[in-house]
Amino acid sequence: MGGEFNLRRKPGVRPRIVLSYPDAYEVGISNPGLQILYELVNDRTPAAAERAYCPLPDMADLMRARGVRLWSLESAEPVAACDLWGFTLPHELACTNVLEMLDLAGVPLRAAQRGEGDPVVMGGGPAVADPWPLAAFFDAFFIGEVEGRMAAIVEALGAPTRAGRLAALAAVPGVWLPHAAQAGPVERQVFTDFARTPPVERPLVPLVEAVHDRVVIEVMRGCTAGCRFCQAGIWYRPVRERPVDMVVAAAERALAATGYDEVSLVSLSSCDYSGIDEAVRRIRALRPGIRVSLPSLRIDSAATSLAGFAAEQRGSVTLAPEAGTQALRERLNKRVDEAQFDDAVRAVFSGGFTGLKLYFMIGLPGESDDDVVAIAAMAATAARRAKEIARGRARLSVSVSSYVPKPHTPFELEPFAGEATLRRRQALLREAMPRHVRLSLHHLESSLVEATLARGGPGADRLVEDAWRRGARFDSWTEHFAEAAWRGAAAAAGLALGEPAGEGAPWGETGSAAPWHAAVDARVTPAFLEEERRRATEPAATADCRDGVCVSCGVCGAGVEMEVLA
Amino acid sequence: MRTWLVSFARRGPARYLSHLDTLRAVQRTFARAGVELELSEGMRPKPRLSLPLPLPVGAAADDELAVARVTDAAPSARDGLLALTAAAPEGLEVTALRESPLRARPQPLRARYACEVRGDADAVAAAVEAFEEDEPPRVVRRGPKGTKTVDLRRSVGAVSCRATPGGAHLEFVVRYDVGTAARPQEVIEVIADKAGIEPVLHRLRRVEVAFAEAARVQHAPTQRSART
Repeated sequence: MGGEFNLRRKPGVRPRIVLSYPDAYEVGISNPGLQILYELVNDRTPAAAERAYCPLPDMADLMRARGVRLWSLESAEPVAACDLWGFTLPHELACTNVLEMLDLAGVPLRAAQRGEGDPVVMGGGPAVADPWPLAAFFDAFFIGEVEGRMAAIVEALGAPTRAGRLAALAAVPGVWLPHAAQAGPVERQVFTDFARTPPVERPLVPLVEAVHDRVVIEVMRGCTAGCRFCQAGIWYRPVRERPVDMVVAAAERALAATGYDEVSLVSLSSCDYSGIDEAVRRIRALRPGIRVSLPSLRIDSAATSLAGFAAEQRGSVTLAPEAGTQALRERLNKRVDEAQFDDAVRAVFSGGFTGLKLYFMIGLPGESDDDVVAIAAMAATAARRAKEIARGRARLSVSVSSYVPKPHTPFELEPFAGEATLRRRQALLREAMPRHVRLSLHHLESSLVEATLARGGPGADRLVEDAWRRGARFDSWTEHFAEAAWRGAAAAAGLALGEPAGEGAPWGETGSAAPWHAAVDARVTPAFLEEERRRATEPAATADCRDGVCVSCGVCGAGVEMEVLA
Repeated sequence: MRTWLVSFARRGPARYLSHLDTLRAVQRTFARAGVELELSEGMRPKPRLSLPLPLPVGAAADDELAVARVTDAAPSARDGLLALTAAAPEGLEVTALRESPLRARPQPLRARYACEVRGDADAVAAAVEAFEEDEPPRVVRRGPKGTKTVDLRRSVGAVSCRATPGGAHLEFVVRYDVGTAARPQEVIEVIADKAGIEPVLHRLRRVEVAFAEAARVQHAPTQRSART
């Protein structure tokens, strides 16, 4: 750990900021968000950014047994001695790891217990869409994209006292202090200079194998396809695209700085990036052997997208129909019909790709058992195409996760399907799926915890702390998931896993009563969310605003606007 | 196609890298330095780069060897050394580069290891004596293909020990031309067991490696000191 290519060291510099991703090093080092902040703080502010990740349980046990406190990889100094400890919070299943890291660092778990010598603990990232489950453990949250406010945050850390630093932070747009009186919810920040700011060009390159080990270039931020279940589609609005010249130049510099031979062009929907064909072609031409990958493909444009890849890099492709029937997909505003799906599958196998993974969800609003069985029918169709076209040389797998309604989406108040329904539908799928198709079902108990925390309210922190004290950590790792700890903590709180945690839950039928709206203004209007929820029941399609029709979601205005390439 | 023999040291946190991680770090150092490696032929071409004697995880090393086949476009050995030195990550220090006319991969003959252990130095000295004079020390290795008993004394020699503050400094030589060679941690564990102390593997260091005659190069190596 540590010692990576492009590591920055700024010994003795204050403020000293420690950036953390609450998971194991191999996962955290692959997080593009942390790489952005690391480069931004170290190279464009006077502060020093260092890193710490969550030690795996065996290491944590040893650290506790020997009295070793969590240290940062850059200076090997205790994390507890930093000025600001910033956590990227990727999802609900990382909550207990935050407590684990605070404890290993010797920082009091609850913000109310911290004093003058303790760092300011700040959270950011997509999971702060509902900050309540972690609110008691953080001094501050940053709501939205922090790039445009980092200089102000660094400046605020110059105040001589902890109270002064918190007061100065409260004045930074986007900062929410859960333990201070603030008027109204904090507006989600949008980085309006995204299209004019180059992506990370000197990323850290791990020396050990990581989850993602390649140059990552963020070509676009935001997605307005309008899938009604998708929180990221709301959270990163509006769409902003980087110029192709900037993308290619950044890829060239990053390849030289890292030694990688693969570039991943990432965004929520890279196939929608206006310059995708040109960017892929020009990056592949930078030098022989450079591979370009896209994290996901849209089914309706997959046939065209796949044609851009060279024969030597045709591996596996993921397509996400999300639901098994046309009717349910229309409810989700997922504009994919059977013919488009068939075309995409044909394009995958006739293009020489050796693997196809289909991604679905179960437990969606309005879903019936027939919708679930239809997933197996789609898999059977794909399997037939694999046999006809690839003649048995291609692998087909189906991955099915459990849908958890998320705050700030049109489905934010839809009920969670619950353990019994999901278990029955998983069994249905196992039975209906063709034998030669590899079926991967998401760990159900993890989904229950996710559902409990995703729409948690004030007081949900007690459940998180109780579960952690009972041994829960690394909840997104099946091998470390402590079901008994979570069930015990939920029972002690008078909950069944899957029900929202916190005082006053569930939140009724009006979105404004939901506690996350008291803390976070995601910039979409309640009227838009309500209208989208209504349209789902018809079901009626909502256009992508990139196509020229404003859907009045409320995000644009006051300097925030969509920026797509001409 | 040209062959470069690159000497490097592995220190600090880099000593915890596995063999494959070390190989990948060296490969990326070449890419960052702008030195193009030859690729193997076949469906999935791989860079022609090897580390002839894998290092144990946790072991530091003063003088390791990487064998690289570079394209004709690669710079001179002197410029290549400068570029690799600048491009290497923390903990991997490129110390010398020489161009070799030979194509055969160098075969390791023997390596000298050093280790600091904590505990009673007299007990360690007695354990070293016993290691060399008592019944041949054997270890049993268990793997997917069954068990294998290895006689450590067959490949281990020149074991020495001197007292240090709080412990002892151990040195020994492992030969690689006598069949199954001992793993350094096996040697330390046997001695530590005899001495009744804890085997502290993170202080293991490979001091030098000797290769067979075929790897020797006719002309003098380019040393880092020559440029500074």
